[in-house]
Amino acid sequence: MRKPIVFTSEREMPPMAVSLADMSHNRTGSWRYMRPIYSEKIAPCKNACPLGNDIPRILSFVSEGRYEEAWRLFRQTSPLPGVCGRVCYHPCETRCNRKDFDEALSIASIERFVADACFDLEDEIPERPRRSEKIAIVGSGPAGLTCAYFLAKDGYAVTVFEAASQPGGMLRLGIPAYRLPREVLDREIELIARWGVEFRTNTKIGQDIDIEKLWEQYDALFVATGAHHSRALNIPGEELALTGLEFLKAVNAGQTVNIGKRTLIIGGGNTAMDCARTALRLGAQPIVVYRRTREEMPAIAEEIEEAEHEGTRFEFLAAPTAIYQRDGRLEVHCIRMQLGEPDKSGRRRPVPIPGSDFVMRADSVLKAVGEEPDLSFLSERLETSEGIVMERAQGLLERAGIFVGGDAQTGPSTVAQAMRSGREAAFAIMRFLRGERKPKAPQLDEALRVNFSYFAHKPRVKTPQLPVSERILGFAETKRALSADQARLEAQRCFSCGVCNNCDNCWVFCPDAAITRIDGTYKVNYDFCKGCGVCAEECPRSVISLVEEEL
Amino acid sequence: MTPTLTGTKKVVTGNHAVSYGAMLSRVQVISAYPITPQTQVVELLSEFCANGTLRAKFIKVESEHSAMAALIGAASAGARTFTATSAHGLALMHEMLHWAAGARLPIVMANVNRAMGPPWSVWTDQNDSLSQRDTGWMQIYCESNQEVLDTVIQAYRVAEKVFMPAMLVLDAFVLSHTAEQIEIPDQSVVDEYLPPYRPIYKLDPNDPRSFGGLAPPDVYMELRYKMHRAMEDALTEWARADEEFSELFGRRYGLIEPYRADDAKILLVTSGTVTSTAREVIDELQSEGRRVGLLKIRVFRPFPAQLVRETLQGVEKVAVIDRNISFGMGGIFAQEIKSALYNRHERPPIFGFVAGLGGRDITPKVIREIIEYTESHDEPEDLIWVGVKR
Repeated sequence: MRKPIVFTSEREMPPMAVSLADMSHNRTGSWRYMRPIYSEKIAPCKNACPLGNDIPRILSFVSEGRYEEAWRLFRQTSPLPGVCGRVCYHPCETRCNRKDFDEALSIASIERFVADACFDLEDEIPERPRRSEKIAIVGSGPAGLTCAYFLAKDGYAVTVFEAASQPGGMLRLGIPAYRLPREVLDREIELIARWGVEFRTNTKIGQDIDIEKLWEQYDALFVATGAHHSRALNIPGEELALTGLEFLKAVNAGQTVNIGKRTLIIGGGNTAMDCARTALRLGAQPIVVYRRTREEMPAIAEEIEEAEHEGTRFEFLAAPTAIYQRDGRLEVHCIRMQLGEPDKSGRRRPVPIPGSDFVMRADSVLKAVGEEPDLSFLSERLETSEGIVMERAQGLLERAGIFVGGDAQTGPSTVAQAMRSGREAAFAIMRFLRGERKPKAPQLDEALRVNFSYFAHKPRVKTPQLPVSERILGFAETKRALSADQARLEAQRCFSCGVCNNCDNCWVFCPDAAITRIDGTYKVNYDFCKGCGVCAEECPRSVISLVEEEL
Repeated sequence: MTPTLTGTKKVVTGNHAVSYGAMLSRVQVISAYPITPQTQVVELLSEFCANGTLRAKFIKVESEHSAMAALIGAASAGARTFTATSAHGLALMHEMLHWAAGARLPIVMANVNRAMGPPWSVWTDQNDSLSQRDTGWMQIYCESNQEVLDTVIQAYRVAEKVFMPAMLVLDAFVLSHTAEQIEIPDQSVVDEYLPPYRPIYKLDPNDPRSFGGLAPPDVYMELRYKMHRAMEDALTEWARADEEFSELFGRRYGLIEPYRADDAKILLVTSGTVTSTAREVIDELQSEGRRVGLLKIRVFRPFPAQLVRETLQGVEKVAVIDRNISFGMGGIFAQEIKSALYNRHERPPIFGFVAGLGGRDITPKVIREIIEYTESHDEPEDLIWVGVKR
């Protein structure tokens, strides 16, 4: 800056307020005390997705009919979009900003549409260096499959051990076909196998092969054996009840299961709902007996609604106390419950009402009061309770190359959570093998501020459903796919929260023409930006942040 | 003295006379928003721009405030700029009028005098332009369509000399929509009279400067002093511009125009089209032997106080017709004349008449009544309402 010019008389002054010096050293941007910056935020849907699927960008592709690119983007974070599009409880939709405007996006049905539309596509497998280390994965459920996919992509030799005759774990054994058709699962497992993953089925750990031996032969182990051990009711006559999981496994394996007509299902979780809906399809009349009320049921709300819609009945505030066999039928003695003080889960504790005993008759009883992992195959030396290091960030059990994930680690959870655990395990294993530390992941702000003025109300697409009359005839998938037009229109409803989609608003609105647009990217010319914030205000999707200038 | 060249005779309305004046002045940027009774001014100019008669940029805007803002930008960049408006449009420009003057931009504007609402009116009176008296704009009140055209050209000449904006004013309908035969001068003569605009400072990427920045108290007052000095200089420049205009075009108007004022005992003061009617009445009265003369105020800002004082010297009574009202005080022209005379020993009584508001006709009969009232009263009241139904 030059020296200031001091006027001593009006005759030295110009007629108007104009600088007499050249002002190129100080353009108009010097007025600014707030600086707009382009900083993409994480969309709440993406943040809520256990896998962090890049939902806004995927929807942007779908909205333009670019389904293949959408599918390939899914596969960067998830090897099972066809599975997730059907069975995920879609926390993404719960967090969708659009819910505060009209209705959340139907993200799950779009994911399913993309997977279906790209059913015949395959991953492009690039030439990549093969790594010498071998990794064994025990269990081929969502955690094991996902772990295998990411390790194999990175060039590791992966062998997956599966006790059952086909890979898939709970996806195949537990989830009924009306929710997840087997050809979808088969196809996505096939795509994982194409990366060079070896599957050894009919190989049960602790029985057909020893964990200690695996540990000797492989450089790292991932234990993802799920939670298959059904919890007990601890009542007399319990042995007269079939476990829900056994029932589902048998039906899903195509075996004939005779449950008669009137079937009581004890429990209120997702297994209970699967049992009820499966029983219904076998011609039974399912009745769910649950000790609390509908509000406390741990099952996903949509599953409860579907079960009820199809004809399942509910007996709330009832708990079995004993089961007896009488005249070829079962008698389930129950006691009426009432809700007391909240327990540590926050749900109100069921308390028996003395003298309220009653009897329910049934042809069969299925108990589905929860599952837990069975890690008894781990040798004493690898006991999970002692001496196993927790990797803090992911809660993975880690000790000298043994990693435990999925339901085996957490107890029963969701498919997406298990997949996330599998992917985290894959990266933890890579770090373990390379002696690397876990990098600090950048924390992005969530895009919570949407300028609704830029959007028009548009109702959420209705996922087509098979009519109940047809559903109960068999195991055909109950949800139908969106049409391409429906999927595209639905994807166009996406606000693209936090992700610039080149709407040009900032560029158009800047009163100082201080924003340049070159090849679809915007830049603020701070020589002229006054920091007025109009760009940030008019950005419909909170991509632009205002930060204070440092003086 | 004879004009060196003659132009073309044409019958045009006052509004189109404005348009021709702007076209002949070779304006480079026009920005305007339509409002009755001004619309035809910019309609014809937009046609001139569209058909290539005038090589100017016509900027359509969403309000008069923006129109003036656009011209401030264009004039800052060194362009000769023009706009036209009326009444509420002018009022909406108010902030920008101050800016144009303070930035010393020689913008020229035509304002068609229209009464302010409410109640809605489209007819003439002067309150719209007189409300902008203190914005730093020169104001010139025109009497005829020829004077309108000529004043546009003169206004650029003076404005660009003293770097102050100028507003020429014409009565709604009486001039704006009334066609008269006028002479449209040849472009070559206008070019000889009006050279291209040469700004002292302009927005120029090769000579970057800041404009309109913050002026602390130690410099603000000097800039205001300079504006006032420029307005004083403008009195001389108007006289010179009028003189040179008459040499080239054969017409002159003066800053004020005394009409048959010699030996008058009573002098009637008018502005705008009332002047033409008053000329007829004065002719009649003088033929009756009455010593009544006329003074037309043409340039109102800068106010030609010295000329007014000289003209009123020796007059026994002054009657001022105001087609405007400053509520709570009276007619604005009367006030101006009173204050111009107050510091003189010799100062005739001033009769301030308010007449013709909202376009009510000021007929020869009305003017005769005004003169007769003045003749028959010795002490003027502060404000005399003419024709109010009571």
